Amino acid sequence: MSDVIGVARPRIDAPDKVTGATRYAADGYVHGLLHARPVLASEAHARLRGFDTDAALAVPGVVAVLTAADLPLATTGTDRTSEPLAREEVVFAGQPVALVIAETEASAEDAAELVVVDYEPLDAVVDVEAAMEPGVPLARVVEESDDEGADLESVHAQVDEGQEDDAAEQLSGNVLDRVTREHGDVAAAFAASDVVVEGTFRTPWVYQAYIEPQVCTAWLEPSGALVVSTSTQGSFVTRRELARAFDLPLERVRVIAEPLGGAFGGKFALVEPLAVGAALALRRPVRLVLTRSEDFAATNPASAQVTHLKLGARADGTFTGIEARMIVDRGTNAGWGVEGGTSLLVAGPYRWQAHDLRGYGVQTNRFTFGAYRAPGAPTAAYALESLLDELAQALDLDPIELRLKNAVVEGDVGVSGNPFPTIGAVEVLERLREHPLWAQRNSLPEDEGVGMAAGHWPGAMEPASAICRVDADGTMTVVTSVADMSGVNSGFAVIAAAAFGLRPDQVRVVTADTASAPYAGASGGSKITYTVGPAVLRAAEAAREKLLAAASQELEIAPDDLEVVDGVVQAVGSPDRSITVQEVASKALRFGGRYEPIEGHGGSAQTSGAPSVAAHLSHVRVDRETGEVTVLRHVIAQDVGRALNPALVEGQMLGGAAQGIGWALYEQLDHDEDGRLLTGSFLDYAIPRAEHIPEIDTLIVEVPAPDGPFGAKGIGEAPVVGAPAAVANAVARAAGTRLYELPMTPPRVWKALRS
Amino acid sequence: MIPAPTRYARATDLDDALELLAEPDAKAIAGGQSLIPVMKLRIARPSLVVDISRLDLRGVTERDGELHVGPLTTWDELVGSAQLERPALAALVECARGIGDLQVRNLGTIGGSVVHADPASDIPAVLLALGARLRLRSPDGERDLAVSDALVGPFTTALEAQELVTDIAIPVPPQGSGSAYACVEHPASGFALAGAAVLVTPDGETVAFTGIGAAPFVLRDGLADVEIFGDRFAPAEYRRELAGVVAERARTMARERAKADR
Repeated sequence: MSDVIGVARPRIDAPDKVTGATRYAADGYVHGLLHARPVLASEAHARLRGFDTDAALAVPGVVAVLTAADLPLATTGTDRTSEPLAREEVVFAGQPVALVIAETEASAEDAAELVVVDYEPLDAVVDVEAAMEPGVPLARVVEESDDEGADLESVHAQVDEGQEDDAAEQLSGNVLDRVTREHGDVAAAFAASDVVVEGTFRTPWVYQAYIEPQVCTAWLEPSGALVVSTSTQGSFVTRRELARAFDLPLERVRVIAEPLGGAFGGKFALVEPLAVGAALALRRPVRLVLTRSEDFAATNPASAQVTHLKLGARADGTFTGIEARMIVDRGTNAGWGVEGGTSLLVAGPYRWQAHDLRGYGVQTNRFTFGAYRAPGAPTAAYALESLLDELAQALDLDPIELRLKNAVVEGDVGVSGNPFPTIGAVEVLERLREHPLWAQRNSLPEDEGVGMAAGHWPGAMEPASAICRVDADGTMTVVTSVADMSGVNSGFAVIAAAAFGLRPDQVRVVTADTASAPYAGASGGSKITYTVGPAVLRAAEAAREKLLAAASQELEIAPDDLEVVDGVVQAVGSPDRSITVQEVASKALRFGGRYEPIEGHGGSAQTSGAPSVAAHLSHVRVDRETGEVTVLRHVIAQDVGRALNPALVEGQMLGGAAQGIGWALYEQLDHDEDGRLLTGSFLDYAIPRAEHIPEIDTLIVEVPAPDGPFGAKGIGEAPVVGAPAAVANAVARAAGTRLYELPMTPPRVWKALRS
Repeated sequence: MIPAPTRYARATDLDDALELLAEPDAKAIAGGQSLIPVMKLRIARPSLVVDISRLDLRGVTERDGELHVGPLTTWDELVGSAQLERPALAALVECARGIGDLQVRNLGTIGGSVVHADPASDIPAVLLALGARLRLRSPDGERDLAVSDALVGPFTTALEAQELVTDIAIPVPPQGSGSAYACVEHPASGFALAGAAVLVTPDGETVAFTGIGAAPFVLRDGLADVEIFGDRFAPAEYRRELAGVVAERARTMARERAKADR
């Protein structure tokens, strides 16, 4: 086992992906396929008065121009699944209002631009803070908001509801949700503090920027059953949402989660209702592949956020009180927002004596909020960790020592009111402190600076199951429903190989569709390795029991005296008395065979979370003349529980750090005052490129999770959380002034240097 | 991202190309690095695309004290050109090397970039500083036009519809000259927020800017009197300051190169 777990090895999907053999959702051949092109709203807020589709319908090859009334929807809700095409009210520029269906993609595109939409403009609500004032225009006036899609939140993180809200607070109807978390007397805590710091931090809407735009193909089998081949993070959640929207029995919907070309939280039943609605309306297969521009305009990026934060500490560095008022721009998402999560995560992995944390979910006429890697966490950590640096400066304490003094350990009660489970905050900070860059931070050129920041992600849980099946050739197939995001399938391969006694290259992993796969939740919340991993482990162990039972009879040795090594069952202590897995399997899998198939089923229902902490050092240079920031070097230390495959773990750490650098310096979805998107292409929306990402050191810290497979934790989201704050703290050092808004673009840095 | 319906014709020679361009909405295509993206966005919708990429208008030669750059010369060919390996022309190579990525530099052409007339494009600043002229050919004959006269506004040139660039002529600066290009790029598009090309000769200095106005231009007096372009990302006051910074950086490099050329 020791040569399986913890060994760096390539992803099992890598050969197909690098040779172009992987078949993505847009690639499959479907007979009689029709192509869909959406017509996107040009107005941010308007009443839909009607359509003129004559010119579009006259384009050769056009089959139909569908509007909301043409889709056989059973729901009246305003979530994107229930209302894939705007019914009466357009609520953001980019919202799909019609769907052109044609025999070719080119015909559909030609026709889509000929659809004339008649809008009656309404006041566009684009300023999230102004939107909260009583009496201001509402972002929805015709249709009632509802929260039918609310439990999509549950796929991302375990977040409690908070406490009772302050009834005296006067807010507009745009405020859809308030979360309050209070404990102790914050005012008294501040009064008893030696230093109190505060600030208001702003972050913009940020796009997930997956390589593969959103795509879905839907068709009906001759029986009438619906088949959906799609790029999704969760097949079962998509099936549930589609069955709800179109009032279909679950068993009549088969969802195939095709290989993902990136998702980062953004792929949950957003385009599926469009393709499905068209396929049901026209009774022909329909494919919708968003263009990049459509994906920018019409999908569900991360919320903009405004965080007012105030912290106190005593002279020795002990944290006292924390007070936060966090305004989350949900855009048009009435179902859920990150105000609950972000107001929990803003306390960080630290102990506070008193807290008063408030989150507000506010509707505006910008996008539909969606999840993006650790929703609500990078924004919270940006505010918190920036102010912690201010605190360290005011107290003349080492920033890492200050955090270490207050870092939570297992059993400390968090602001959720629950005790933290095993958590590696101290270990990660101590490891980061040892990096030579930290010691070098005070002997840098004047225009350079090193900043540090930490962040954590609580993880998520959902019952899951898996199947392990050994074929007659002695190899194993692991079957789950899991969409292979961030390399989880490669993790399953080593878990199954180690638990059963095979080499990892003897294990295949299959993502089965909802008709045949054992249940698992969507790939989100950093929960797959932690919840499906144990199911795979138990399935492999169950298969191993079948193997040993059969081998025991073949070898005439008791199962307890047998071991399985690299595909061979042998007597413990006398490896010459052996039989291969292949021999046992082939004896079982044949007509007249006497042994049960070498298969196992395993399940898990985790009840204790496994938060992951990551901390960063970022070394930047600020060009004082132009405001340009260059990241020269970056270091990330993360507690991963146990690195099942260190190469993949490092990949997650590198990717998280790179996306965090994107938050810090580049990424911003910006609208004009009428709510029209200004940065709707990669010509305007900057993401970090290879040349912008420096050498990144990855420091893997292993504090095993008691319930994780071989001690592993979910690690996909934690690495992005603290990265923007680390860069911000580095910029603050190098520039000698702090920016309170992301991204720290050259013009903003230049302006800050001058003020 | 599918262009509007269009027709395609490959020109066999220059006269054939000019004849094909007689169609009112025809558009010439060389490397396609500017035209194809705007066609995919349906901002440009030519009825006919005239492929001139195989015409014999490529390469760098020197005669009679002038450098002649074929308009179909790609960025990568400029980067690798032996004729440009001298301090006085260093700005051309410096600029070409910084354009796009290798795929773009393998296809994109200098002539295509000039006539696309993106107000933030890099190469016009260099050509302006070097005092380059375009030789133009139309069915009516040939004429010469200074680059400074050719660029009249955003995506707008003084070229006639049925007129093609056949040569870019650059006077070779005297011994003891140096040139340089410096810019600050938009982090998404890579186009210049402000770019400056400087030519230093024994007789004086020429500074040309891109990215800060309706079209790239040669600085006559001070920057203070120039109307500067601004947008939400990079306001005019920032670009004005940036213009001074990149000009100073280019000037410093150009002066160093001029010294090395003595």
